[in-house]
Amino acid sequence: MSAIRTDRYVEEARRGIADPVLRRALAGLQERFGRGTAEAYRRLPEGPGLRQTAHAIREKAIAHLDILLERLARRIRENGGEVFFAATAEEAVAHCAGIARRLGVKIAVKGKSMVTEEIGLNAALAAHGVEVVETDLGEYIVQLAGETPSHIIAPAIHKTRNEIADLFAQHLGIPRTTDPPRLTHAARRALREKFLAADMGISGVNLACAETGHISTVSNEGNIRMATTLARVHVAFMGMERIVARLDEYEIILRLLCRGASVQDIGTYVSFIGGPRRPGESDGPEEFHLVVVDNGRSRMLADPRFREMLCCIRCAACLNVCPVYGRIGGHAYGFAYSGPVGAVVTPLLTGIRRGRDLCLGETLCGACKDACSMDIDLPRMLLELRAILAEGDPGWGVEPSGGLERQVWKLWEGLVSRPALYERALQAGAVLQRLLPRTPAGWIRRLPPPFSGWTKSRDFPPVAAEPFRRRFAKRRKEADRG
Amino acid sequence: MAEHREETLFFQTLRRALGHPPNAARPAGDLFPAEPSAEERRLLARVSGRSEREREELVSRLAAAARPLHLEVQALDDLAAARDAVLRLVAEKSPEWGGEKQLVAWSHPLIESLGLAEPLARQGIPLHLTRPVDPALDAAAADEERRRQRSRIAASFIGITAADFCLAETATVVLRNRPGEPRSVALLPSIHVALVPRSRILADMKELFALLRWEERFRTEGLSNYLSFISGPSKTADIEATMVHGAHGPREMVVFLVPG
Amino acid sequence: MDTVTLFVPCLMDAFRPEAAEAVVAVFKRLGFAVHCPAEQTCCGQPAFNAGYRNEARTAARRFLRLFGDAEAICCPSGSCVAMVRHHVPALFDGEPDWRALALRTAARTFEFTEYLVDVLGRDDLGASFPGRVTYHDSCHLLRGLGVREQPRRLLRRVRGLELVEMKNPDCCCGFGGAFSVKYPDISTALVADKVEWIRESGAEAVVGADLGCLLHIEGALRRKGLGVRALHIAQVLAGGR
Ligand code: SF4
Repeated sequence: MSAIRTDRYVEEARRGIADPVLRRALAGLQERFGRGTAEAYRRLPEGPGLRQTAHAIREKAIAHLDILLERLARRIRENGGEVFFAATAEEAVAHCAGIARRLGVKIAVKGKSMVTEEIGLNAALAAHGVEVVETDLGEYIVQLAGETPSHIIAPAIHKTRNEIADLFAQHLGIPRTTDPPRLTHAARRALREKFLAADMGISGVNLACAETGHISTVSNEGNIRMATTLARVHVAFMGMERIVARLDEYEIILRLLCRGASVQDIGTYVSFIGGPRRPGESDGPEEFHLVVVDNGRSRMLADPRFREMLCCIRCAACLNVCPVYGRIGGHAYGFAYSGPVGAVVTPLLTGIRRGRDLCLGETLCGACKDACSMDIDLPRMLLELRAILAEGDPGWGVEPSGGLERQVWKLWEGLVSRPALYERALQAGAVLQRLLPRTPAGWIRRLPPPFSGWTKSRDFPPVAAEPFRRRFAKRRKEADRG
Repeated sequence: MAEHREETLFFQTLRRALGHPPNAARPAGDLFPAEPSAEERRLLARVSGRSEREREELVSRLAAAARPLHLEVQALDDLAAARDAVLRLVAEKSPEWGGEKQLVAWSHPLIESLGLAEPLARQGIPLHLTRPVDPALDAAAADEERRRQRSRIAASFIGITAADFCLAETATVVLRNRPGEPRSVALLPSIHVALVPRSRILADMKELFALLRWEERFRTEGLSNYLSFISGPSKTADIEATMVHGAHGPREMVVFLVPG
Repeated sequence: MDTVTLFVPCLMDAFRPEAAEAVVAVFKRLGFAVHCPAEQTCCGQPAFNAGYRNEARTAARRFLRLFGDAEAICCPSGSCVAMVRHHVPALFDGEPDWRALALRTAARTFEFTEYLVDVLGRDDLGASFPGRVTYHDSCHLLRGLGVREQPRRLLRRVRGLELVEMKNPDCCCGFGGAFSVKYPDISTALVADKVEWIRESGAEAVVGADLGCLLHIEGALRRKGLGVRALHIAQVLAGGR
């Protein structure tokens, strides 16, 4: 498993907010992709309702996951490939390391893949003496900088051309330039050498098709095609849920994936891989391995509240509309997955209690659900996670919350159940607020803890001297009398 | 029947999570139908009944879809025109990585019928044809042959392929890989030229998948072990969202529509 | 005379009683008798959003007891209606009687602008309000209930009112209930942008249909010393004549 830093959400969020470059980049990204994706859904020949169709396709696939995975594995094996089913990150990583050792792999070139970030593949292979080169340009930049991706589709969104210029000058030995085409070309040249020298190509899987027995990858750069064509062995990693039954279903999901990810009708390169190269073929890998990863997914599958999350295809459309993600950036989420998808999936994979800030640190504005290419109800699941945090859930190893917070809500419960008491509490508030620093208009400048967070940056409205219900009742009485 | 202990455990966990008995493989039911659906029948009929005029319309849709992708589409009247178009490219463009001009092409009947070898030879420009690796070769010799072919492909600035299909809606060239038709020809050279016989233009992915699933002629080969969709030259926007063509794959791509 | 039962959001009751009075005034003008159960407090939304479902259920039960008999329930808050419509029935998944009552009540509960435009078919209420305003789409009203056009239609028919759109009117203001207190930095980053977009629009007032957002936005506007007012749409619609 890669490092889990979900407990640093608040600090990292603060850091993201304070970074004007990041803020500007994210705003630009959301401007382009957020609105563009909604428009692209509307322009679908089937209309935006295709998202619901896709959801149903994914749900069906998830409900038959055992059958689909068996079929996929059988077909791939018939075609000369190998399939390994890994229950944990450790098993998946060890299997890949074993292949590398057996073949004496020195350089591995890698296409962008979320699941390999999740299981911490790079570090593990490096520990076995394999040089792992990220080849997606954004990932490459992030890797040279010794950082982690901040967006699923645009991993280097947080880097400026100036920073990239310095990085490339330092690592690629080119004269410093800030020109994106020149920088891209420098990376193209450097990575071409790596592609031609690599012994192992590593990729993720965007979606597999059980019927035909193929995995597929989507990219605009062509790096995944390079990585899966030129090296001696190709190892593909897939989360066990990334599959549909048939090609016609695949077609629908692919179209939505491309629209959700980058407002495209189709990615530049979509490759369907069913096995290693065949006799007589002069390129393509000699060995093809598929590693199917559970790593906590079966737990989501078993819980009806969270099974829906397995419909996710990691298109990142939800990131591109999320107002919170747009301000704090991807690093705050402390794990491979960021944004709304991360807020739900990361606590489920890495611990709900540890990731409590991910569950609570959103406004439930619902933009993610409307943007989701698979029409997944992320806000519903955030609410479920919050309920687990409050009420506890032995199945997920979460104790009920205790302490002050629980007492506050108990108090609230008591008040809203007793209108007279409630009324008196309001009255008390109206009196007590006079002790607080206020503006001339009567708004409160500073609240005591635990409410002081509000008044750090905002005035707080005063409680009315006479709340509405009392006014209404009084007037009613007057009317009755008069 | 599971091959490994891990696999058995994996499927047990999976079935349990789904609420099924952990040890019994479930039947596929109607997950993989044996007959085309009504919708697929309609698609198949549409493809087979497509008129010349409708096909022409697909060509204009293809051209329209290609434009924003930086994909050049040229409709050519005959093979001679296609040959001249290739020769023009050869004359106009220069190799990205330096060195002399070389071309690589699939050993494919359509490409061979262009008659490129002779005019290129006259200019002293090598044209490499990617022959299938002879199954009679021993492992070391076959490896050597593959290495040789790869270095020729990598040294070529133009790679020529022949598409199995072309999808008008998304300007997508569809290639299935076979011996003699290596995928890197569409990948390592800086310019990818794809020949597309007009009869192989389809409207969209739906039609393609219907054919691959149900049309006897295409079904046997299926998707092959490596099917690719290529919709334009390689590109990236990873540096401050500036679009740059030529990230890793070809930086230019041209589709020549030819009769047939 | 037609009767409407008013479900007053707890925030409005406590912090902006004038807005609730404006709702009453609007209905009076339309010739409605307004009924308002004096015992009402809260529908349970804050606790529900925080994950405290047992506590939320207590409040929801009270709400259903008080409002269960009403013919038409109108509430000037999108998030409260979203709570009653979507979440309260789900809270009683295991209790068929309560669930049935929750569903019946949900079917008769409407958000204020939705009630005026979709149920009553009114958009011109004869109001007048001088000045340029911009409308903020509250998240639960827009995405939870699908109400986007109704408030705008109502505003466009107000004499003297010029409606201008701000940038990203449908972007969350960062309120999120307890979120605004627990995650002040993120919440502040959101409302700062909202305030900036409001300022850029050149509006003299920002109008919304959910008091939580409005108080939040106004708190930020005031702290910044901007003279833009934040008004509930009822306060605009009750204006004039
Ligand atoms: S939750 Fe939806 S929008 Fe977000 S990554 Fe997954 S599929 Fe895409």
